[in-house]
Amino acid sequence: MNETLAFILEWVIKGAVLIAILLTGFAYTTYFERRFLARIQIRVGPNRAGPFGLLQPVADGIKLIFKEEVEPAEAYRFAFLLAPVMTMVPAVVIMAVIPWGDKVVMFGREIALAVTDLNVGVLYLLSIASISVYGIVLAGWSSNNKYAMMGGIRSTAQMISYELALGLSFVPPILLAGSLSMSEIIQGQQSSAWYIVYAPLAAIVCFIALLAEVNRAPFDMVEAEQELVAGYVTEYSGMKFALFFMGEYIKMAAVSAIFATMFLGGFDGPGVDTYAWLGPIYLFLKIFGLLGLMIWIRATLPRLRYDRLMAFGWKVLIPIALLNVFITAALIVGLGI
Amino acid sequence: MTEELVVTLSALETRFPDVVKKDERKGYEGFLVDTKNLVEVATVIRDELGYDYLSSVTGVDYLEEELLEVVYHFYRSTGGKSLVLSVQVPRKKAVVPSLYDLFISADFQEREAWDLYGIKFEGHPDLRRILMWEGFEGFPMRKDYQEAFFVEDQKPFANRWPEGKVFRSEDENQFGKNVQYPKGFDKPKKWDPEEEDLLYAGLQELGKKDSGDLATDHVVVNMGPQHPSTHGVFRMAVVLDGERIVALKPVMGYLHRNHEKIGERNTYLHNIPFTDRLDYLSSMVNNHGYVLAVEKLLGKKGAVPERAEYIRVIMSELTRVSNHLWAIGFLLNDLGAFFTPSLYAIEERELILDIFEATTGARMMNNYFRFGGVARDFPPGVLEKLNSIVFERLPRKVDELDVYLTDNEVVASRTKGVGVLSPEEAIAHGVGGPVLRASGVPYDVRRADPYSIYDRFDFDVAVRYHGDCYDRYIIRIDEIRQSLRILQQALKDIPEGPVLLKNPYNIRVPEGESYGRVEAPKGELGFYIVSDGTANPYRYHVRAPSFVNLTALEKMCVGQLVADAVVVLGSIDIVLGEVDR
Amino acid sequence: MLQDYLNDYWPIAILLLLTTLLGIVAIGLGYLFGPRRSNKRKNAPYESGMSPIGPGTRQLPVKFYIVAVLFILFDIEVVFLLPWAVIFKKFVDEGLGNFVLIEMIIFLGILLVGYVYAWKKGAFEWD
Repeated sequence: MNETLAFILEWVIKGAVLIAILLTGFAYTTYFERRFLARIQIRVGPNRAGPFGLLQPVADGIKLIFKEEVEPAEAYRFAFLLAPVMTMVPAVVIMAVIPWGDKVVMFGREIALAVTDLNVGVLYLLSIASISVYGIVLAGWSSNNKYAMMGGIRSTAQMISYELALGLSFVPPILLAGSLSMSEIIQGQQSSAWYIVYAPLAAIVCFIALLAEVNRAPFDMVEAEQELVAGYVTEYSGMKFALFFMGEYIKMAAVSAIFATMFLGGFDGPGVDTYAWLGPIYLFLKIFGLLGLMIWIRATLPRLRYDRLMAFGWKVLIPIALLNVFITAALIVGLGI
Repeated sequence: MTEELVVTLSALETRFPDVVKKDERKGYEGFLVDTKNLVEVATVIRDELGYDYLSSVTGVDYLEEELLEVVYHFYRSTGGKSLVLSVQVPRKKAVVPSLYDLFISADFQEREAWDLYGIKFEGHPDLRRILMWEGFEGFPMRKDYQEAFFVEDQKPFANRWPEGKVFRSEDENQFGKNVQYPKGFDKPKKWDPEEEDLLYAGLQELGKKDSGDLATDHVVVNMGPQHPSTHGVFRMAVVLDGERIVALKPVMGYLHRNHEKIGERNTYLHNIPFTDRLDYLSSMVNNHGYVLAVEKLLGKKGAVPERAEYIRVIMSELTRVSNHLWAIGFLLNDLGAFFTPSLYAIEERELILDIFEATTGARMMNNYFRFGGVARDFPPGVLEKLNSIVFERLPRKVDELDVYLTDNEVVASRTKGVGVLSPEEAIAHGVGGPVLRASGVPYDVRRADPYSIYDRFDFDVAVRYHGDCYDRYIIRIDEIRQSLRILQQALKDIPEGPVLLKNPYNIRVPEGESYGRVEAPKGELGFYIVSDGTANPYRYHVRAPSFVNLTALEKMCVGQLVADAVVVLGSIDIVLGEVDR
Repeated sequence: MLQDYLNDYWPIAILLLLTTLLGIVAIGLGYLFGPRRSNKRKNAPYESGMSPIGPGTRQLPVKFYIVAVLFILFDIEVVFLLPWAVIFKKFVDEGLGNFVLIEMIIFLGILLVGYVYAWKKGAFEWD
């Protein structure tokens, strides 16, 4: 019985820590994005609140809490409230299977630096990742607003364009590791080399699909400001908007973590075998780098049109991803990796 | 009268004896046509004489003669001087046949004349108010219309300095005294504008579904006035089938301030700062067009010294460069690029604005040109700075923009083949400037009808042939390069000398009409001025390029996706200050 | 007692609970501290400042539905690929690499025929 309680306590603490990390991470991703964008665009960016503007996210959060929440009279109220939660929750929950490091010993217990290690980790990733689309579609539909509705329809169009390529691009790492478990995929990379070396094409396809997954530029047509004002979030304000925002940024971090785990060795890095605590630091650095890349892309590229994205997804990404499955399989057979 | 016009006149007079008459009023150069024969004459003008470009349509109210006049300015799209036709109708029964079927460019301009003068254009398919608000009572440009703050017909108003003290009439809060309400106007909440219903009815008619399709709806969506990408308060009412546009109507006038009425209250000199506010991104060119029109009337009195002409050209071309940089930057914004291209373009524009500030004292509202010259010479040091910008920095930076944007896959896939306007359509819609030239019509007022000293410079008229958004983007880069060529020549040749012989504070302009047109960055900017010999213009009309270019918006957008409509609008490059006036 | 097999999933359930709580708290915070001064105009659907014509939620044409149907089809094929990928290495280790590879090539070949057919039929040119 005590053992069970200890386990439950461990899980609660792990979950709370993960949420706390993600929330701070989310806040400072927005700050990082604004400062980095500003640097790219020969501007200064937010630098007034606190030293170097470091308190800007706090100020933004407080402002959003004290904002009036406008609820459109014609909205479907329950769905309207449900949508932001439904967008935010999968973004956090998806992080559960990402291992942050090897096992460490704390309080006399051996604790794995991951919320959990599923034997079907990759399937879990794929399924949870698709759930957040529901939140967006629901938001678009329940707002009873034409722009929001179009945003919702666009998000389905977008989903069916990239999801297939995303699933296919996960196959080479699975082939190489021979497992669906995230920790075994990382072990596989520790014992050979990072999978980006063996399957660079899959990595590129995967990154593009993940960009589309999080609705980031150049695939941000769901909330395309110039076309749909704000797309599915047009009618949202205050904390409900903040939840969407949170969902988007946490998901950015989540997909960066996924990409890092599948192709960049996850928490792998020099010295991680002896010092297990280096693991989270390495993973954090990789996520940070990938976030930087996403922001850089946002600063650089114009938006695609959603029919072009669909053509791109079906006519370019899928054949490449399929081809890559063969190449990887043939490599394994031929070279015996 | 030029030789060309004599030939035209004789041709018209032999075709239409007693119908087409030479305008005999002092200072007028056009022809008077009978109302009945207007369409016939216009057809001959277009098809036989080659005047295929209807540039300007506007009304004039001759209160004393009890006449309303509609003035048409025709051009050949191959270049040359204008052909002016006037039609006179009695004020009480102002009905003129519409030229919409011959020249689509008459669309908005006839609606404007109806809106402001109450001239009914028979045969116009969609004669609604365009600039004034729906349900507005009266026709504000008529000479007997008095606005809410009415004080006197002409400035300077005597009540502004009673006993030498300055005083603003707004302080008196006269609002309400002259306000006229439409018939049946009850309380604002009961008021439901009829014109709005008309607009939607027309749209629904256009967007009617074919029967037998799936049971899905066509949706009427308003993009604007409060929309992030309409470049101000502009509205596109669209009917959508999914995301495809099946019908579109532009709605404008949210920024309307009746610039022309203000212009007629003002004295001639007063108007120069007001023209700055038309296309506020290219004030200098607006100044240029206006002073050109007045100088035409002034004749010898309006002679411009050599150095001033060079300064005018330099300033106009710098304005063109800065405007095009802005246009390219914000076109990319409309494509969804997150401000980076526009900020890089604006960085260069700032350098040009620095020059403006040093010379004129203002970065945007320059108020710099004067009748017979420019307000002041370059201060010391500016020319050196200008040389370094024009000869070194800008050519380099334009090449940079070209490298980064022109070959960008996403830009190309979003803009190629989108919003195509064929050359014939472009001419018929009366579009001007980059939009016209991107459609393959090499028409540039600087070459077609040279003004100022543009005939001395060696430059090419930039032309592109696809007429899509991509060409409208890339032609702006071409034009920046050509402007830089002109600037380099002008800076080399600029002579010493005075820039203004005599500052005319209160000029008297001889009677007559004149139409001064310049190649503004957005197209042909025309100022139509009628003088009655007093200190104030009797008629002051602005043929705004953005306004007329919008005529083609519907044509370009229907059949495209919502995302493309935004790009098309961005590629036309409008400024609402000029559209709404 | 917690079943061993489900052990891995309990943390996820707890995390899900915590996150949902967070969402509810966040929305609740807004309700607690945000002012509410609503009026009819403010609560009207946003359509660039104009009164919207008709409801926002309607039967909009979704022209890419054929692609959506194809998506479901192909997505299931990808799911079939995953187990193959997991056991692929084991077969290779046992020297049956070529066998499973060819097997998969046949499977995907059939799929490819459908894909090419859909492409040539113009299913991806939906608008």
